[in-house]
Amino acid sequence: MRTQLKKTGLALAAGAALLATSATAQDKVFVGHLADYSGPTAFVGKYYADGIKDTLQWINKQGGIDGTTLESETIDYAYKVPQAISNYKKWKSRKKMVAMQGWGTADTEALISFVAKDQIPVYSASYSGHLTDPTGKNPKTRKPAPYNFFYGASYSDTCRALVQWAKEDWEKKGSSGQPGFVHIGDNHPYPNAPKQACGEYAQELGFDVKQPVVVSMKPGDFKAQCLSIKNSGANYGYVANLGGSIVSLIKSCNTVGTDIQFMSNIWGGDKLTFNAVGEGIDNYIFPALTPFWSDDVPALETVKNIARAAGRDDSFQTHHYIRGVCSTLYMAEAMKWAKANGGITGANIKQGMYATKDWVPEGMDGVCLPANWTAEDHRAINSVNVYQAKWNDGDIKINRLSQVTLPRRDDWLGY
Amino acid sequence: MITLSMRPCGDFRTSYKADNQIFETKTIRWLTMASIGLLCFAPMVLDAYFLTLFIQISYLGIAALGLNILVGFTGQISLGHGAFFGFGAFASAWLNNSFGIPVWLAIPLAGWLTMVVGMLFGSPAARIKGLYLAIATLAAQFIIEDFFARAEWFSGGAYGAAAEPFTLFGFAFDSDESFFYVALFALVFMTLWATNLMRSRDGRAFVAVRDHYLSAEIMGISLNWYRLLSFGVSSFFAGIGGALYGHYLGFVSAEGFTLMMSVQFLAMIIIGGLGSVKGAILGTIFIVLLPEVLESTVALMAETGLVSHGSLTEGMAYLKEMAIGLVIILFLIFEPQGLAHRWKQIKAYWKFYPFAY
Repeated sequence: MRTQLKKTGLALAAGAALLATSATAQDKVFVGHLADYSGPTAFVGKYYADGIKDTLQWINKQGGIDGTTLESETIDYAYKVPQAISNYKKWKSRKKMVAMQGWGTADTEALISFVAKDQIPVYSASYSGHLTDPTGKNPKTRKPAPYNFFYGASYSDTCRALVQWAKEDWEKKGSSGQPGFVHIGDNHPYPNAPKQACGEYAQELGFDVKQPVVVSMKPGDFKAQCLSIKNSGANYGYVANLGGSIVSLIKSCNTVGTDIQFMSNIWGGDKLTFNAVGEGIDNYIFPALTPFWSDDVPALETVKNIARAAGRDDSFQTHHYIRGVCSTLYMAEAMKWAKANGGITGANIKQGMYATKDWVPEGMDGVCLPANWTAEDHRAINSVNVYQAKWNDGDIKINRLSQVTLPRRDDWLGY
Repeated sequence: MITLSMRPCGDFRTSYKADNQIFETKTIRWLTMASIGLLCFAPMVLDAYFLTLFIQISYLGIAALGLNILVGFTGQISLGHGAFFGFGAFASAWLNNSFGIPVWLAIPLAGWLTMVVGMLFGSPAARIKGLYLAIATLAAQFIIEDFFARAEWFSGGAYGAAAEPFTLFGFAFDSDESFFYVALFALVFMTLWATNLMRSRDGRAFVAVRDHYLSAEIMGISLNWYRLLSFGVSSFFAGIGGALYGHYLGFVSAEGFTLMMSVQFLAMIIIGGLGSVKGAILGTIFIVLLPEVLESTVALMAETGLVSHGSLTEGMAYLKEMAIGLVIILFLIFEPQGLAHRWKQIKAYWKFYPFAY
């Protein structure tokens, strides 16, 4: 296919007579989509996956990639690595996949070497910091990930942004003394991902970084953990888990009476979680890399159209859904660039990702944040929207507090 | 292959040598060799999808084989096999990255390291058995998993570890086509090893420990030693399987070596047939292919327009998970001795046709 595509490019240059045949040859490109609808991360995975699936369909309805149809297949791999690998291989060898929309840490990391070798860009929702160093510039990077992209700030950067917000919050409140910071999460790669990086930055900003508190990813009674949080004297706690575990944590801590400002990671704060907690939600800080569904942003109408076109409820979708939409749109625009610059191949799509500065997909101003991918730095986004959730008489009120922008420090690359 | 179980009547052996043959007849020997020879040509005809499935079957099959030695042959139980598998993967990457030991040597060394760890966690077997042992090995699963997340010097912690491709004489086996041969060699080698082990004194001792430990002890078999050795051998196999997995993927992440994986290994050997070398491999083939077959059935149904695709991928996901559970239950009811037993019956049917014996 790759050579076929090159031929196609030549044909285009050669003359109009060949145009018809080349158009059929480049009629379709295949995009694989790994989703978690039934696995352990399905709690948020299904919304993100819906966003991708709907957008892929929507792009085709809008005429595809300048006339090229996106053929796609959504596979529920249930967060199982073997299924992720075999589907990847199937797509690569049988469908001539040019790009893939992936999901979590497990599948993304298992495929790092394969996609680099096969030159297939992967857009994941695994925001591990170590996926952002494509060339291994930072000596700390163990494995450069040249073909891995994600729309968003890394787990480490999101946590750093929250710490920066906490610092401002502390000063604004006029509190005296040294604020305490604690990492709350399971001892597992995903909650652990930002632990060290974020702790170091918190210390740099003058926080007293407490001993991390381990809270299981599985929901349970966390009163004992809440007591240790209370006794640690921390003022700000970074919640690194997601879903049911957070619901249990907030409920347990409310019972114990922990006086701490919770700040969650990107997967740890959404309306479903808040609704499950109900009355206990009070001043819960969470980050988002898109606006909230109810925010007053004109471009959200396009996102709503995407949801409507797929027959989905347009009154509410999570911000994970919107992030899925953004991730797919960036891929589509990079494909457009690739088509104009030698054909839609994995390597060209990668180059397409570097073509635009402060890049916002067409018509998505205010929805997708301006992104900058460069050949040496895959930290696309360095600003984070900070939101607050509050229980308000039978409803959850979501306020946007601020937007924190982080410096692009070299020592943070891939970390 | 030698099975060390009851033989059907009419199957006589007249010497110890004949009794210990790896292959029952010449035909079987030639057929086996021919099929291995044929498999060598597979990368030329099959695409990456089939090759990756075979590679998966190889590394998981080697580990399942190890577990079958422990559970099927020695009658112990382990719920920590997934963790040992992961330990092998990390150990091999660690030996290669930290000490520059070439991968071909790091893989067996990782097997030895895993064996040491396995024997350590298997030591409670000297005192306890049955359900109590199951819980003791469950502890191994959690301790090792936690170790992966914390021991940055060893596993890279949350970041995982990079694993170099398998290289021999400057040639890197980093594609499916080339790694296929590594996997094939490892599978054949380890299967042969397990088969040989089972017809040695140690193998017979394992079976004696399983069948009647009191009699075994009276006959002079050290129960503690053989239980421990069985844990060691089983972990060695898991370590080799894990190391192959790591070098195939090129990256080892602490995610994935969970209790679910340990349970899946148990499912493989139960479906395949406890106490059978062949059974472990057959069970692995079954467990690896089952989701793939279901997946392609779904795809086929969608293509023929039997059901709409959108609702199907979401709805089918749950059905698929349930189907796997259902198949395992049905297997336990209708095929309690596993695929290996069924295989023997089919073979016997053709061999003795048209008579029952």
